This record gives sequence, C-alpha cells and structure tokens, in this order.
Amino acid sequence: MTRHDVVIIGGGHNGLVCAAYLARAGKRVLVLERRERVGGAAMSEEVFPGFRFSVFSYVVSLLRPEIIRDLDLPRHGLHILPLESTLTPLPGGNYLAQWNDHDQNRRELARHSPRDAEAYDEFGLELHQMARLIKPILGVAPPDPASLAPRELLDLARLAGMFGRIEKKKFNTLWKLLTMSSAEYLDTWFETEVLKATKSASGIIGTLLGPRSPGTAYVLLHHYMGELDGVFRAWGFAKGGNGSVSAAIASAARAFGAEIRTNAPVERVWIEEGRAKGVVLEGGEEIRAEVVVSGADPRRTFLGLVGEKNLPGEFADSIKRFKFRGASAKVNLALGELPNFTCMPGRGPHLRGAVSISPSIAYLEQAYDDAKYGEISRRPYMDIVIPSMLDPAMAPPGKHVMSIFVQYAPYHVNGGWTDEKREALGDAVIDTLAEYAPNIKSAILHRQVVTPADIERIVGLSEGNIFQGELSLQQMFFLRPAPAWSRYRTPIGGLWQCGSGTHPGGGVMGASGRNAAFALLGERV
Amino acid sequence: MSFHAIVIGSGVDALVAAHVLARNSKQVLVVEERPPAAQDFGWVPSQVVAELGLKLEVQAPDPWVSALLPEGGKLDLFRDPARTADSIRKLSPRDAAAWPDFCRRMCALARVFGELYLETPTDPLNLRLALRVRRLGREGMVDLMRLLPMSVAELLDDWFECDALKGALGAMGILNIRQGPRSGGTAFRFLHHHVGSPEGVFRPSRSDVSAALKQRPGVHFRASGVEKIRLKQGRAHGVALAGGEELEAAIVVSGLDPRRTLLELADPAWLDPELARAIGNIRCHGVSARLLFNGSMNGGNLVWAPSLDYLERSYDAVKYGHVSTEPYLEAHPSPEGVEVHFQYVPYGAKDDLAATARRMLPGLENVQAASILGPADLEREEGWPEGQPYHAELALDQALWMRPLPELAQYKTPIEGLWLCGPATHPGGGIAGASGYNCARAILKEKS
Repeated sequence: MTRHDVVIIGGGHNGLVCAAYLARAGKRVLVLERRERVGGAAMSEEVFPGFRFSVFSYVVSLLRPEIIRDLDLPRHGLHILPLESTLTPLPGGNYLAQWNDHDQNRRELARHSPRDAEAYDEFGLELHQMARLIKPILGVAPPDPASLAPRELLDLARLAGMFGRIEKKKFNTLWKLLTMSSAEYLDTWFETEVLKATKSASGIIGTLLGPRSPGTAYVLLHHYMGELDGVFRAWGFAKGGNGSVSAAIASAARAFGAEIRTNAPVERVWIEEGRAKGVVLEGGEEIRAEVVVSGADPRRTFLGLVGEKNLPGEFADSIKRFKFRGASAKVNLALGELPNFTCMPGRGPHLRGAVSISPSIAYLEQAYDDAKYGEISRRPYMDIVIPSMLDPAMAPPGKHVMSIFVQYAPYHVNGGWTDEKREALGDAVIDTLAEYAPNIKSAILHRQVVTPADIERIVGLSEGNIFQGELSLQQMFFLRPAPAWSRYRTPIGGLWQCGSGTHPGGGVMGASGRNAAFALLGERV
Repeated sequence: MSFHAIVIGSGVDALVAAHVLARNSKQVLVVEERPPAAQDFGWVPSQVVAELGLKLEVQAPDPWVSALLPEGGKLDLFRDPARTADSIRKLSPRDAAAWPDFCRRMCALARVFGELYLETPTDPLNLRLALRVRRLGREGMVDLMRLLPMSVAELLDDWFECDALKGALGAMGILNIRQGPRSGGTAFRFLHHHVGSPEGVFRPSRSDVSAALKQRPGVHFRASGVEKIRLKQGRAHGVALAGGEELEAAIVVSGLDPRRTLLELADPAWLDPELARAIGNIRCHGVSARLLFNGSMNGGNLVWAPSLDYLERSYDAVKYGHVSTEPYLEAHPSPEGVEVHFQYVPYGAKDDLAATARRMLPGLENVQAASILGPADLEREEGWPEGQPYHAELALDQALWMRPLPELAQYKTPIEGLWLCGPATHPGGGIAGASGYNCARAILKEKS
C-alpha cells in the first residue's frame, strides 16, 4: 500500500489544476479519475469516426491567465484559437453581427441604432471596470463573516479593506449587477432588442433562470471576465477541443511529479474517528493519504462519497439545499457541408465565430417559461460554434463538426428523461436552426444529443449542472457551497474540496482548484 | 407669501415630513394636489406616532388573512401563532409544527430592517452596520445573507409544503412588483412587508394616519397642483402653483416621485446628465389594479393565491404584456365598500377586470363595481408613476442605500434646498411615513 501526501478525487480541470500546484510545491499527489480519460466535462472525444467533439464544455475564455502562466500550459500543448464574431440571425432575414474589430462592430450596431452604437463603448467600459473589481475576489478564499477566529477576522478586514478602496460609485454598480436581471440591466443601456437579447444570453447560461430573473446580470459579468486580461481578448476555442485544455493541465501536473490514475472510481472517502484517512476504490482497494481533496461537486462529495452519517446535521442540511437544477444540453453534429444562413449566405468569416439563436428577450423568456414548468423549450436558446472551421483536424477533409449549446433542457423534465425526450430535444434544436439555415437538415451526417441527465450519468455532475451548482447570489462567495465552509475545508478533518462547487464557481476557470491548493498549502493567494 | 418650507404632495410621507418640520418651529405649507387617503397601507413606525402624538385607528383584523382554498373552504391565519398552527394543522401537520419557528426567525430578521428603516441609509461598507448584523448571531446572520438574494418561493419551500399557506405568504414577496415568486430578491420584499407587524402576522396593517395628520394643527395647507419648482442660481427658491401663483421657501420637499420632481418640476438642466439618465431609468412598472365594489364583507383580508406556481403563472402573463387571466387577488373592507387588489395588470390594459374578480372571489357575484383603476388610471388619480404605488419598484437594486438611486438616497438632491421624501426613498412604500420622517430629520440635522 503506497502512501501519498494528497489524493485528489476526480480528474476534471479543477482537480488537475489543484494537483499541479500541489505537486509543484513538492507534495506527492495522486489523482484518481473514474473514467478512462481525464478532463471531466472538459474533454474531447471522437464520437463518430473521423469527427472529434468537445462533448460537453466547448469554449474557453475564463481559464485564469495566472494558471496558464504558472503551469506553462502552452508548452504542454494548449493552443487557443479565438472566435471572431457572434452572429444573431433574425426571422425575416435580418441579423446582428458583433465583430472583434471595433470599427466594424460599431458600423453594424449603428445600422440598428446609432444611439446603441454610441452607448456600446461606455457599456463595455463599465463591465470591464466591474470585471476588474471582481478579479481579485476570484483568487480569495472567502472568509466566514460570522466567525470570531482571529485568522478569519483578519481576512475579513483585508477584504473589507479591498472593498473600502473601491470607489463608492463602482461598488454601487457592482451591487446592481449582483441583484438585477440581465434584461433590466441592459434596458438601461440599449434599445435594440436583438442586441439586448444576445447580450443577456450570457446571463442565463448554466442556470434555470430567464433573462428577466434577478441575479442574471451577475452571470453576465461572470462570463464577461474572459474578455479581458489581454490574454485571449475574447472567447476562444482550444485546438483539439476542450480535452486539450485538460490534457495540457494533466501534462503540467505530471511534469511536476503528480501521478494520475484513470479507470479508478472512488467508492467512498475513508473516514476514521471523524478524519479522512484516504479513499476506498470500487473493488475495495484502499489508498491512504494525509489529505483527500474532492473535485466532485458538493452533493456527490458529501452525500455520496462521505455519507450523511459522517456530517454535522446543519452542514448536511445546507448541502441538501444547495441547488443544481441543470438546464443546459449539448447537441453535437457531424456535417457533410457547412450551414448556409439565410441572413448571411455562403461561407464567410461569420462561420469562424459563434452563432447565437437569441432574437429577442421575449424569445428567451418564453424558452425559460417552458422549462420553468418542466418542459423542454419548444424554441430553445442556442449558442453554436463550428470548431472545424478553426481547427480542420476536428473533422475529415471537407466535412465539419458543429457544437450547439442548448437551453433550456431542464434536468427535472416532466416524466423524466427518456430516449424519446432526448430525440424530441434534438428535433426542437434542428427545427429551430433550420428556420435560419434551411440546409442544415440535409447536411447532418450524425447527431449526438447530450441531456442534463446524460451529463450527470457520464461526467458525474449532479443534475447536469455545468457549474457544479447554480451560480446564484445565495450560493456564491462565503455561501458556496455552505456557510462557514467556503474556504475549501470541510467539517471532516483532512478532507478538502476543489471543484467549481466552491468559490468562485464554474466556467472552466480553474480558480477553485488553484485557490484550494493555496489554501491547503497554507499560503496566501 | 413666504414659508420656511414647502412640502409638495398629499401622501402620508409628505404629511409626516411637514409635521416633523413644523414641530421644530418651521412655518410649513403643504401643497396638495389631491385630498389625503382615507386609509393608509403599511405600518406607522412607533417613533412617528410618539413624536407627533398621534391617536390612530389601526385595523388589526383577526384572522389577519383568510386564504381561499381551491377545493372550497378557507385557511384562517390568526394573530395568535398557536391558533394559526391549529388551522394549518388541518392541511399539514408538518407545516403547523414549523410555524412557530418560522415566525420567530422572520420576526428577528424583520426587526433588523425595522431599525435600519428609521435612519438615513448607510452603505454596507459601514462598520456600524456590520456590527449590528453580527449581533444577530450565527443563525440570524446566515439567515439574512442567504435570504436577501433569494426568491420567496425558495424561502417558503424550505419551510412549508402546504400550497395555500405558501401562496398567501408568498404574495407579500410579489406585492406591487413586476416579478414572480421565483424571482430573486422577493424574499427580501416578503420581510419588508413584515417589518412592524407582530410575530406571526404577515400583512402590513392599515390605519387612518393621513387623515389624522391632515387634522393635526401646526401646518398650513393649500389645495393646488404644482407647475414648477422655482430655482434661483441653482438652488430651490419656492414653487409656482398651477394657476401661476408663486410661493417662496428656502426648503422645498417633494413627496412626488423623483422623475416628476427632478425632470419635470425642477429644471433638469441643473442635473448632471448621467444622473438625469439614471433618474429616467428608475424602474416603476405598475402591475396592479384597484377595484372597488359596493357592498360589504365579513372579516379582514380575503386572499386568492392558491399556490406559488399559481402566482408564478399569473406573473408570466404580464411579462408578455397581458393581464393575468388567473390573477392574485386580495380583498379587504374599505370605508367605501370592498376594495380588491388585482395583480398582474400591465400599464394601459383594457380588460374586464371586475368580471374576473367576481368569478374568483365569493360574495362579489351580484355586486356592482363602483370603480376599476388600472395602472394608467392610478397614475392619473393617485400620481403614482406608471401606476407604481411605491414610486420606485422595491427591488434589491433600488432598496436601502440604493433607493431610488445612490445619489438620491440621503433624501437630498443635487439642487440645494430641494429634498425628496416620497415612497421612492428609503425605506419606501409599505411602511407609512418612515421616508417622510427620515427626510425631515435629515433636513433638520443639516440646518442645525
């Protein structure tokens, strides 16, 4: 029986980031991945012969630049190809195109509304400032404001100091973003419906909330954070699919000396006298370690691997209350030819960017209303990319892969998920897309539909929530995942958490894994 | 003629502000566009009652609410929590058991707000506030932090299973806002409407406070519309009445909404354009209609809000600009008959609201509707912007130190001598007179 300093449960990107930092600090680290490959939800797979897909997550932007730097990820094969535009086709043949090029973007906006073109830069500036305010908070282990422990009080004071230095005006804007709906926030800036809708869509990603639900403005900001740092400028696509993000982190971790075992499903955390002593694999193998770190989400970690009987009642109640409510699905298509959009026919630069099906706020809100009562959206919101346009190796020559992120497909669908429901979702997506790109039906060679239930079953994310728990205000910062346990520790001595179910949350950021590693090493971030 | 202060508006806040200023030896004139309300909605803070020596007639119906059940019958919620638990027990023994603890925890949280509501708001980066919150202890603090951003549906689902109980309570989270019970921030609104009520009572009281203030001596009254707030070198100088008559005062206090006060009556040219834009962006959607039926009713409040899902579906309609076909209704006796609150109604709707109300509320089948006022009518009749009785939606981004905007939250405006005291300021509608009281005290503090 080997002894390790640290055993990490789950080889998702956060587990791998945590492993890499711990190994870098000289710890003997073992990562245990249940599946045959690492990556968790950030993985690529050849689903159909010759066609490779980022089956689940599909773009990168939020991965913390300090992680890329610290772990030297480009040397380990990470290569980001930027997405150049977002096209929102409209019924009737009009469209809104947002380009990375500032002047081109401004001209296009002015075509819809000169006033909005005018306001756009100011809007961008405000979000940029807000993102800069939030950024340092992403790297903080949130203190417990109710605690009287000197260390926590000290950190609380530091945090208060950090906020105290913020201009009042900016703090108030931040508060607005935390509490407003994305639609209301955008109403204060713009008048063009399709612009508001497309922008507000980043506020609903991953949550069972509509653009008019308060709290979505923050999710909008959360997704905006990728658009700074000067590293990626905008959303990008990892060459080889999102699996290569995980592969690069894994390679970095190995280079620092971490050991990674796949096909090693953990059955439970081995607990003796209230302390974690290691883990027990399915099949009975026991692995001892000084410290166990779980990259699984809070529900799987505590109610599954630890077991309620080992937890204080109040903590178990908080974990049970922690909301997941997965709402997102993926449709992956193998295409014989490129889609031909009525509003922008032919092969153009727009196919190297994202296509957003979000014609109006009411459209998105209607899609949400279906899901709110347990139905699949009849006309869903979609975020579409064609990775093979940026990385031809993803598909055979002349052919393409299309990745469609879909909302809403509620995990708690009426009657539960069945094969019929899965196909009905696929049909709703294709039918909707065909309204804008009529050739899509004949272009499809293969189709893969991934429901929230599939995400839960395959990747292990509870209720298929892509953030390991809804990113709502009452589940953020010092309340993520439970009050008093937001600092990556748990009520079980020697057991830590590093998944996106902890502060600051999901989006292939890697910040949770990094913060957890620093907390474990007893270092300030 | 010249006064120390002119107060514009006839709402309870304007009247309270006028009397508090007058008590401190100011010559105060109230210019009222319309007569005061016969009945006011909301808790009158005890500080206001004590300082002005008011003798009020406060309605305290018992049961405070009778929730109509879809299968017939009623769920009566009494002022005595034990008695309420008895009536809940018939529907859910589990909920009856949870009731006393729920009432205790909500009351503790509402008390914190009650204290904050009688002060000029401070931003949350304030040490005194932090210490006050810490006094709540761990349970209370965690409750408060979790609850503030929550939806009232999540809050109530945590505690109860009985749909009728959750519907009747949840209605206080969505009262007068274009949000549904599943919208974040509605749990805060639920607490807001609990402030000042005894433990276990989740309906703001009604009283005759405006009428009492109108009768109280010490303040001059003038019935007239206001044409303009007069400025001289960028500071308030008095008002011009509808007929053209001009009155002078160094202090002008407006109980009207901020948009009308600052963008219409005062000269917006004196405002920073960014602030003017923000004032234009203050959200004040009206979503309710007020129906008055002839006749009378027994008991206190009759509520039709059979479940949280029902309320959410009512809300769905208004998102797309329709009147709820299945609305949230609440009826109570008024001096003129039976008053019915009908939610949700979009601005400018023309539907037959009375027929819907008659169909759903027992006892109204054969009585005439004396008046039906939708948001647009209420805007005209009551001066509520877009029909919003709180003048600015009470949502988290427009509450406390953000109410109605951070720049206006101290009751002061950028125009020297011009103050705001209406329900658009902290703590806002649903609390009768607190905004006016805080505003008057802020004025006195500055002048002293």
